[in-house]
Amino acid sequence: MIAFTDIIGMDLAKQALMLLAVDPSLGGVVIPSAVGSGKSTLARAFAGILPEGTPFVELPLNVTEDRLIGGVDLEATLAAGQRVVQHGVLSRAHKGVLYVDSLSLLDSSAVSHVMDAMSRRAVIVEREGLSEVHPADFMLVGTYDPSDGEVRMGLLDRIGIIVPFTSQNDYRARKQIVSVVMGTRDLEDTEDELRMLRGLINAAKEQLPKVSMTSEQIKGLIQTAISLGVEGNRVDIFAIRAAIANAALNQRTEVEDEDLKLAMKLVLVPRATRMPEREATDEEMQSQDEPPPPDEQEPEDEDAPAETPDADAEEEQEETPDMIEELMMDAIETELPDNILNISLASKKKAKSGSRGEALNNKRGRFVRAQQGEMKSGKVALIPTLISAAPWQATRKAEKAKKGIKTGALVINKEDVKIKRFRDKSGTLFIFMVDASGSMALNRMRQAKGAVSSLLQNAYVHRDQVALISFRGKQAQVLLPPSQSVDRAKRELDVLPTGGGTPLASALFTGWETAKQARTKGITQIMFVLITDGRGNIPLQAAYEPNAEKAPKEQLEKEIEALALSIQADGIASIVVDTQMNYLSRGEAPKLAQQLGGRYFYLPNAKAEQIVEAALS
Amino acid sequence: MTQTAKAAKKTSSAKAAVTAEAKAAPAVKKPTSKKKQAQAFPFTAIVGQEEMKLSLILNIIDPRIGGVLVMGHRGTGKSTTVRALAEVLPFIDRVKGDIYNRTVEQYLEMESGAKGAAAIKPEDVKLEQIPVPVVDLPLGATEDRVCGTIDIEKALTSGVKAFEPGLLAQSNRGFLYIDEVNLLDDHLVDVLLDVAASGKNVVEREGISIRHPARFVLVGSGNPEEGELRPQLLDRFGLHARIITINDVAKRVQIVKLRREYDEDPDAFLKKSTREQQKLQKKIEAAKAFLTEVSMDDSVLTDIARLCMNLGIDGHRGELTITRTAYAYAALQGDKKVTMDHVRKIAGLCLRHRLRKDPLETVDAGEKIERELAKVLGEAEAAA
Repeated sequence: MIAFTDIIGMDLAKQALMLLAVDPSLGGVVIPSAVGSGKSTLARAFAGILPEGTPFVELPLNVTEDRLIGGVDLEATLAAGQRVVQHGVLSRAHKGVLYVDSLSLLDSSAVSHVMDAMSRRAVIVEREGLSEVHPADFMLVGTYDPSDGEVRMGLLDRIGIIVPFTSQNDYRARKQIVSVVMGTRDLEDTEDELRMLRGLINAAKEQLPKVSMTSEQIKGLIQTAISLGVEGNRVDIFAIRAAIANAALNQRTEVEDEDLKLAMKLVLVPRATRMPEREATDEEMQSQDEPPPPDEQEPEDEDAPAETPDADAEEEQEETPDMIEELMMDAIETELPDNILNISLASKKKAKSGSRGEALNNKRGRFVRAQQGEMKSGKVALIPTLISAAPWQATRKAEKAKKGIKTGALVINKEDVKIKRFRDKSGTLFIFMVDASGSMALNRMRQAKGAVSSLLQNAYVHRDQVALISFRGKQAQVLLPPSQSVDRAKRELDVLPTGGGTPLASALFTGWETAKQARTKGITQIMFVLITDGRGNIPLQAAYEPNAEKAPKEQLEKEIEALALSIQADGIASIVVDTQMNYLSRGEAPKLAQQLGGRYFYLPNAKAEQIVEAALS
Repeated sequence: MTQTAKAAKKTSSAKAAVTAEAKAAPAVKKPTSKKKQAQAFPFTAIVGQEEMKLSLILNIIDPRIGGVLVMGHRGTGKSTTVRALAEVLPFIDRVKGDIYNRTVEQYLEMESGAKGAAAIKPEDVKLEQIPVPVVDLPLGATEDRVCGTIDIEKALTSGVKAFEPGLLAQSNRGFLYIDEVNLLDDHLVDVLLDVAASGKNVVEREGISIRHPARFVLVGSGNPEEGELRPQLLDRFGLHARIITINDVAKRVQIVKLRREYDEDPDAFLKKSTREQQKLQKKIEAAKAFLTEVSMDDSVLTDIARLCMNLGIDGHRGELTITRTAYAYAALQGDKKVTMDHVRKIAGLCLRHRLRKDPLETVDAGEKIERELAKVLGEAEAAA
């Protein structure tokens, strides 16, 4: 096993984990990073810097509900003649670490249980006649590859620290360094270093209650959260805790600017929903990859540090104090990846090889729990059936014997039968791809919105979901990820830019990606609804190569054909709604429909309802 | 990592377990309510989010309002507030040790008529006072724990069948809280809808047939972006409170300050807020008592009906909810007569979720209600 101190790079992630070790009430650390960056190695090495005996429990992605929450242990119950309870994964992580690799692939019901446990710091078991509360106060350490999809926001909200995503372009080099180091280094050195690190953390824990923070500093963090448009108020506490933990780690009694900056970087900036505008431009050229400088800045505030924030002295300070604003800008600048497209870029590379997505596609939903039901109505869950029949064997046999009926080894009644319940998202995911370029774009957009709206109104009935991708300019953009929420659709579809080129290939690709992600989450039926004239003029690589906008017609056609055939081969249904007004130039949209193996509709003045009808027909 | 069931250590009630033949009044186990977690953050120390707090209080004053759905942003104190509720709830009388929290009448009705059981005289029934129960229904709950089932423990150890009541029994005459209610499994939603409509829970299993009262105030919370609620369930909630991120720096500083104080020394913090808590509790109790004295003129009722009609709200639950809620609000304010001013305060809460949702609609539901309300009031004035 590679030790924490042996891992080179990922300094920010390391620092985040150290803060968590100092103050577990930060809730956890999430590390988004590309494949092979060593994030999971690091997370596992985290156990090594925690006090000995701290539980480190790994949550497998395919966990069932009873493994997660806990329940009756059949074997032990039968052996003991009384009910024996098996604690779930969540409560086994109590006072320790719950580690999830590929957090974004965790099933949504499992995510809900993790969230619930984090909010209560306990697991409430109300299952199979069992009613117990198991303490489950754990730190969640999660790693994930952003190209697998995003982690649910509700869960992120309960996790204090999100390490900013950086592209690990030199990860191969790093791996080599690790192995070289591993070969030549003395194990005793490593052990010494780890011991030192543990000592450092212990000292910081003792220091923690001694650290004070001024009310100005607290206000500054809160103001930053507001200007970044962070949702919710819980994040304030996390930011404060992170700043204090960092001060404690540096054996200080006062929070300083660097602590605030780190708190912004690790807690606030990753949750930003908007970027504040910058005024000063002097420091534009901040270095990108450097870890936060461990410099010894002189604290600037002359005010005596107050023990607690003084809320009564609240003159409405609407403007962010200059110092805070500067810190915030620094935090943003140094942490945004130089190319914001990195994430989508990573996902594109991945998709070409994408083996994991395929494997999961073959499943028809996931077995989650057993539930009472008729034998005919599903697959019988044998063990739960036996559990529910087991207690009655004595009484039933006695009853039957009284009536003179001979019984076999087991008496199983109809009411014992449990059937398997799968998490079956049996509804359809409709992925709308709307051409937002050209003169008719506004019209098409309106139609699409109406259709999305109408589909969502009936979404409960069919368990359908809707996603919306618009394409214009250089590349397609997911405006609405798969969702059942009318509220969300309303918000996301509010503003729609139109005009520019027609990156049809990018739209197909993005749709395909969205479809693949949905499949890993158990949605099997997918339908593309393309609202376009079928004429793409921007090649795929335009999205990440600024000078690749021009491409020969043949290349464009080839791209689209290849994509369309792959999509068809993946079993995705499609319809193409042609909105072209000019009769003479028709021809490209029908061809697209044919390549996709889908149906073609010519609806130049399509009403939303017509599109819905076409999609559902 | 296993642990013998706590239930095994719990002593069962003194009542004898029923045999397989007996159908009525099977023995029940003691309530499992003594599994309280650390005491919650005090209700009165929660800053802002007035809409949610008011909705909860109105439901205590009149449980027939039908509960409240709290939807909104993450991390804004939804579940903290609901869990804090327990400490400010008034007391109710129930039959001593009764797991169903029954009143004497309910108890007699259920037990007296039972086959083979002797008639019970009202004066023989002992009563006790308990705080209004708040029951937490976790997402992973199985149906048998919600509805109740056979006590497996007893079946295994002594071979007798006894009914082990579920969460629905515990929540009778109390609050049933579901966090992330929009993620609740469909089959549990079915159960809830069924019980909420009839006020009764019926369990038939392994030769035992139980029917017990289960009237509760349903409280749900969630984030609308994580998923929508089934329309039938949405309709069940009397009130719909919205909760959003507080963007006022001073308020947020206050929240942080209180929270840190609480984290540092919960006991001292709770002690400090005892007086406020008791004051609120008294106020609620007084309003509850005062409710019977509140009345409403027919003209107000007419205006309410007109408002619902103009907004195109189906069914009559809208009117009913507004009326009850306005009564409760007037009682809380200490007013004897319900006026349209009271109605105006609570109309949004009562109607917001009953309007048809449309992603293309740009007008906020609250605004729309407010606008119609003004119209109705204008019409009423013009007519006068």
